[in-house]
Amino acid sequence: MTTDDYFGHMFQEFPENSEWDAVIIGAGPNGLMAAAYLAKAGLKVALIERRYEIGGGLATEEILYPCYSSNPHVIYHMMVDYMPVIKDFNLDGASLLWIKPNAQTAMVFEDGKSLLLTQMIEDTKDSISKFSFKDAVNFGKVMRSWRRIVDEIVAPATYVPTMTPIEMSMALQKTKVGQEMLELIEQSPLEIINHTFENDRVRALMLYASCMWGLDPRETGIGFFVPLLLDRGMNKCYCYGGSHKFASAMGRELVKAGGLILEHAEVNKIIVQNGRAAGVELAEGRTLRSKVVMSTLDPHTTFLDLVGAQHLDKDFKALIDGWKYDKWSFYTLHVASEEPPRYKCDDPWVNDAFMTIFGIESTEQLLAHWDNVVAGKIGANFGGHATCETLHDPHLSDKPGKHTSFFQMHAPYEIPGGWEKKGKEMEEAILAKWQKVAPNMKRENIIMTVHETPVDIETRFPNMRRGGIKHGDYKPIQLGSFRPNQECSSTRTPVEGLYVCGASTYPGGLVLGGPGYLGANKVAEDLGVKKWWKTTPEMERYIKTYLT
Amino acid sequence: MSRDERYDVVIVGGGPNGMATAAYLAKCGLSVCVLEERVECGGACETVEPIPGVRIYPHAMLMYAAPAPGFEQLELHKYGFRMAWNPVDMMKSLTAGNTTTQGVSPITEKDAMGFAKLGGLLGQPPFTQELMRATFWCPPHPSEVEVTDENTPYIQVYKKYQPDVCTPELREWTMFELMDEFLESEPFKVTMAFAAWASGAAGHWEGVAIPALLSVQLLILPNTGKLSIPRGGLHGYFHAIHRCAVAHGTVVRTACPVDEIIVQDGRAMGVRLRETAAIGGRKIWANKAVIAAVDYKQTFLKMIGREHLDPSFIQKVKDISLKNGTLYVTTYHTRKPIQWNQRYKAMQESETGVSGPAKVASGGVYPSDSRELYYENVADCDARKSLPTLPPEKLMWFLTPSQAFNPTDCQGQYRNGYISAAFEVNVPVPEYQIEGIDAQDKEKVKLDDYMRKAFSQALDGLDEENIIHCWSATGREVEFRNTGLIGGTWCGSRHCRDQSWTRRPIPELARYRTPIEGLYTCHQTTGHPGGLCLMAIPYNLMHILIEDGIAEPGKWWYPSPYYIPQKAKVSAIPR
Amino acid sequence: MNKEERYDIVIIGAGHNGTTTAAYLAKCGLSVCMLEERPECGGAQETCEPIAGVRIQPHAIANYGGSAPGWEQLELWKYGFRMDWKAGAIVPFDTDRYMTTSDGLSQVTDKDKMGYAKITGLLTDPPFFKDLMRATFWCPPHPPHVELNEHTIPFMQVYKQHQPDMWTRELLEWTMFDLMDEYLDTEPFKVNQAWIALVSGAHGHMEGAAIPALCSVATVMPPAVAMPVAPRGNIHGYYHALLRCAIAHGAVVRTCCPVEEIIIEHDRAVGVRLRDDATWGAKKIWANKAVISAVHIKPTFLEMIGPRHLDSGFLQRIKDLSLKGGSLYMTHYLTRERLRVRPKFQTPGYRYENYGSFTGPFFPNDSRELYFENVTEVMGHQRNLTIPPERAMYGMVAGETYAECHPQSTRPGVYINGPQWMLVPTPEYNVDGMDAMEDKVKWNEYMRKALSQVVENLDSDNIVQIIGESPREQEFRNTGMLGGSWYGLRCDRDQWWNERPLPELARYRVPGIDGLYLSHQSSAHPGGLCLMAVGYNLMHILIEDGIAEPGDWWYASPWYIPEKGKKSAIPSRPSSVATR
Repeated sequence: MTTDDYFGHMFQEFPENSEWDAVIIGAGPNGLMAAAYLAKAGLKVALIERRYEIGGGLATEEILYPCYSSNPHVIYHMMVDYMPVIKDFNLDGASLLWIKPNAQTAMVFEDGKSLLLTQMIEDTKDSISKFSFKDAVNFGKVMRSWRRIVDEIVAPATYVPTMTPIEMSMALQKTKVGQEMLELIEQSPLEIINHTFENDRVRALMLYASCMWGLDPRETGIGFFVPLLLDRGMNKCYCYGGSHKFASAMGRELVKAGGLILEHAEVNKIIVQNGRAAGVELAEGRTLRSKVVMSTLDPHTTFLDLVGAQHLDKDFKALIDGWKYDKWSFYTLHVASEEPPRYKCDDPWVNDAFMTIFGIESTEQLLAHWDNVVAGKIGANFGGHATCETLHDPHLSDKPGKHTSFFQMHAPYEIPGGWEKKGKEMEEAILAKWQKVAPNMKRENIIMTVHETPVDIETRFPNMRRGGIKHGDYKPIQLGSFRPNQECSSTRTPVEGLYVCGASTYPGGLVLGGPGYLGANKVAEDLGVKKWWKTTPEMERYIKTYLT
Repeated sequence: MSRDERYDVVIVGGGPNGMATAAYLAKCGLSVCVLEERVECGGACETVEPIPGVRIYPHAMLMYAAPAPGFEQLELHKYGFRMAWNPVDMMKSLTAGNTTTQGVSPITEKDAMGFAKLGGLLGQPPFTQELMRATFWCPPHPSEVEVTDENTPYIQVYKKYQPDVCTPELREWTMFELMDEFLESEPFKVTMAFAAWASGAAGHWEGVAIPALLSVQLLILPNTGKLSIPRGGLHGYFHAIHRCAVAHGTVVRTACPVDEIIVQDGRAMGVRLRETAAIGGRKIWANKAVIAAVDYKQTFLKMIGREHLDPSFIQKVKDISLKNGTLYVTTYHTRKPIQWNQRYKAMQESETGVSGPAKVASGGVYPSDSRELYYENVADCDARKSLPTLPPEKLMWFLTPSQAFNPTDCQGQYRNGYISAAFEVNVPVPEYQIEGIDAQDKEKVKLDDYMRKAFSQALDGLDEENIIHCWSATGREVEFRNTGLIGGTWCGSRHCRDQSWTRRPIPELARYRTPIEGLYTCHQTTGHPGGLCLMAIPYNLMHILIEDGIAEPGKWWYPSPYYIPQKAKVSAIPR
Repeated sequence: MNKEERYDIVIIGAGHNGTTTAAYLAKCGLSVCMLEERPECGGAQETCEPIAGVRIQPHAIANYGGSAPGWEQLELWKYGFRMDWKAGAIVPFDTDRYMTTSDGLSQVTDKDKMGYAKITGLLTDPPFFKDLMRATFWCPPHPPHVELNEHTIPFMQVYKQHQPDMWTRELLEWTMFDLMDEYLDTEPFKVNQAWIALVSGAHGHMEGAAIPALCSVATVMPPAVAMPVAPRGNIHGYYHALLRCAIAHGAVVRTCCPVEEIIIEHDRAVGVRLRDDATWGAKKIWANKAVISAVHIKPTFLEMIGPRHLDSGFLQRIKDLSLKGGSLYMTHYLTRERLRVRPKFQTPGYRYENYGSFTGPFFPNDSRELYFENVTEVMGHQRNLTIPPERAMYGMVAGETYAECHPQSTRPGVYINGPQWMLVPTPEYNVDGMDAMEDKVKWNEYMRKALSQVVENLDSDNIVQIIGESPREQEFRNTGMLGGSWYGLRCDRDQWWNERPLPELARYRVPGIDGLYLSHQSSAHPGGLCLMAVGYNLMHILIEDGIAEPGDWWYASPWYIPEKGKKSAIPSRPSSVATR
């Protein structure tokens, strides 16, 4: 054996060049789902992730290092009852465990009064009745129709290819529920809520709950989000062991099916040959060639940075250039504390709530706060929502008996003075507000704090541009068949062999699992691969009623 | 609602040893379940991102495992294993010299040659890999075999390639004695001794000269002569092991702490999960074996009922020594890069991609003046077992080479300042700390300041204005985070002669079997060779599981050439 | 030393449901052991004599179970079951044409009565009242594979068949108020019915509970007579017949035997361990075929089984089960003279002598605003009542005598009146604290003031003693009545029928733990009211699982749908009695 043989003979690494059926960029929920479905269908799949860990938003991270893990996406699991992926891969039971507390969303006011949205409708009515029994009765009445809208239309439609607005309104005309939904679509969230409820605090809660994910309360044409986000907001699930467990479970399904995951691999470019996507080049120099490339990133990154404008015709490029990011991002304050926050209010159940809104005293203030944020400011009138992750999950704190919580509020990407400075100031302001409603959130009880600004969100996840957690604003011209644009909302793109299936594609973000599922379906169809999965009964019913 | 489950093999603990064992056994076609108490597997092979865009490595940082048979046997490259080739040239740093209070002490020709010789680099061909494998990747001999120069693996290798290294005392020597024989300058020896101390076997311990020296030598990747880390840090390396296990059908359950190893009639039947486990306090049954890939304390003092073990055994287990300290690790987030000060300019500086190319201090040990100083530090930690009493300028510390950030590394694009490599200082094991188990935690602010003073002796950029944030973890915090790192020690139990190879951690347990039939150990604290994420314990354990007829590997398997089968057992050597 | 025992079936709790189940199973020839923690069996079916010669009933009073198949299947008449047909438990429906409001009496109009008769199935010939009741209460929830809609839900099938003009999909979404607004006339009557529903289980304002709520009011009238009646010897007399039926068929009853643990081995319930203060200490009692928990669902899972066998997702949902709305503070009044109703509430042509002295009203029935004010106080604010006594809604049930031949009070010179009930917060949820209603003097007085709105002589000269009982005391006395809730869990749509107590438990089985079944008002459809319904419904499941093999006497619910891949509970050859 020569020296060279010897040196050459050590360990082998993943090759410089490799061949795949499908390369998927981004191992967030959508990337993981698309990859797992296709790998299990027999395709040779590689999933490429820039970070050192898969999951994207499905993260359980030791932000409060050492010893305290945070779970910022804890409140995003709203579609667990509908996501096909959970049944298709049989994730429930041993590999994933969901905790669905009855006390879901609380709102506490400085005078100690409180409102509570619960999974059980009567408990919610009980809580509302403290302010207005008419509103309690009306809540019951509207939820009858709203729950049907969600159950029969909006939820199943999430996993079915989109339609144009015209097709949609024709389809909806077919049923009473559909007509009720059409009426809602016409209205703005604010109109719907003001028209349904009389009490201002009840309105404030409903408005916050239905617009917190980035709806303009005054915009018409998005009204159907109100039933969806209210009903789903009352059915949030906690992913036991942290949200990343969902990602890990999907990752293992992918690997079990023979798929590959490359972490810590940043894509430099999507190779386009004679107008066709042919693979990706990694920053580290490796090349993965493939029949199809699926990107879960935002439109700008996918088309301008990775594909390159030279491969796009100018109308299409114009569409991409026109893409607008979220109207607001989030500022989050993570806290490790000796005790969970205990709210001083008229309802002890608030302390078990999944999420607690505070700082908002009226609809007027809420609207003013949002107007500020959209205008790039944060005033003294801000409010937000807090969650104590360890309330349902001891595993998030390595130190026995300690707790982690976070407060999250809407915030602009750019702020006067810059986030470097503002970030610290906000910490104080938030703790002051928090302590007002939860006296035990005082300094003595706080072990550690870390704040993350919209800029930090973008640093952690560069495709959440401008801190946009949904990769792009929710507004009529960026929703449905317009998400990200008419050309791409089917997940197919003008670049043959390139698919988009991230939060910026129909139906959108927030761990819906829609884009990844739809992308997998489309690719399977285009490559003529047999689908091993079936549509859910809800989807079948929806398709039968509205699409045929 | 979940029900009890049943597998061939149940592995407690999803760290590097547990997971690599799962990969080996799953590849043998066994049904395997790995139970991890934390929300994520990986044990000490972990990466965290405490601030966006910035990763730090709380524990293992450097790639020691290069010679491991695991790479080819488990085909880790198929599961995405890659290295980050932006290495520091170890030879260059060596030639750069060693940092003493007086300045940089150059390394002599004799030092370099001696070091190369002992590491097998002068042989024709170099026999480094064989030497390393003999030392770390070979199960201890069966108790009926008397350990002699004739059958001690590393001696056999030297005999074959470098006979002049073999002196009758080689197995008696301390590392210092060995170095006095083959090396020249004191600071170099002290540096090596300290690096060994931090890696497991200390420079002044009886009879572990070669293992101690080689645990430092492992850092040099034989196919480059350089040291480096896997892409994505050791967690990236772990990912490949994890996925190999999963691809072969291993079931992994996170957030599933084990409360009890169920023993019936002296045999391990399975485990009972803690009531907070993700699937509730369920029972998981094992047809063939339960493998404890957690530390010996949890295994024998918590999970197994006293009634199943005799008191003398329990006493021995309690007496296993964790000494030679806990690494108190500090990482800095700074505005300007941390660099060697004027006096140490001769030291290697390395390019980093952080905020574009910039010179940052690469690794080194300071101060390496003399072995007297070394002993003072050892005495403070292992003898006095107190909070540091030395003045900061005398404290010995180790800065890991900052090769972490490679231009193709997303961390390389981090804009808001610089992240240092890890600074390591040996402090007493909290359990032994005379001021109390939580003394370090109570004094954390003081300790951080003390260490900053110590590092500032040789480095610029550690002033208040320049530091944005500093992360540090005390031994106890380390143990809270990874219960397997008992006492926060990195190599588990001390690798002194009384606790190494055929005596690791105690003779009864040296071959990974336990007094409980069907229960095996697989953890750095319980088996040879110990820590450093070498995939060595799983490989060594395979020999034993083959002997016991549990594992039947395919053609891909080969045993250690120095392995001696136990009488009346199936040999692990394929026919 | 006694040895551990072994039976086919071990039943935890000898209340109404446990005993009904025991009777059914013993009659199937199985060896059954019932374990009761109290010194006396009966659970909420109890009668006590706190003062020599004066009987009161702490809980159930009227017989809601008139339509139960149990009467004939268990042949309770053979074991001495009798009724007091001269009943006055509640002012009989046919004669009472008035509702009491703060302004006096409000007439119940013919539209009210016709509407009420229509929706309760009394207008058709023959009436379908009994079918409606049986469909609503005496039918196990459908298996998961059956889609629930207006065609499959039993009571909907009954309306579809007998009163098609009522049969609309909305019926499944309505509240009882919506239903009454459709078919009834006067507000006080509606409010009155809503409030009776409130204390009988499903509430008048609950989403999608219109029919169950209505039926829980209507079922207080046996099919034959349109008037509420009580069993002879009171509700405990009814229990005696049940218990003796069980014993006659060989059931073993062990009192003072609290169960601490349900023993689970390899995912199967194999027996129970008694608490060490049990009659024979903490011995184990083994079950060959099944362990049936006839105690409250919360202790069943949270204490007797525990996290060792359950995941935290499931435990969270058990903890979240709502006890709201069933807690009643109750008072009895021992008086020197009979209570006299104030003139403005004197019912014209009302014949006191038929119904004892005075039969209490439900008061005040003014408006649903008032109803909601009361409900909000208790379930919204979850605090001690802050509304003035004159606005507090209550029910006054029993007169002094159910029948001259056995008066409630045989004590010379005194009369016993009551109970008077008032809805109060569940102690567990009371923001003023668990024991906030333990200030008995204060609350007895509050109750007295409330009742005095209608009664003119409820004063210190007349009152010998007020016997008050707080929900927490009820819970101490009967641990199965957690939170002092009379029907275990709130019967809202989220906790009723196929979702009672949780969807996966709705068919009385416990997925993940074989051989364990649930038979308690808190853990099973239809809930409380001593209907012999849980026992009857559970039978269907035990037959499906091959545990019970009843004889000719058994017949299944006509609306019952067998579970896929299981044996059907419908007898292969039609039994002699089944056709009725």
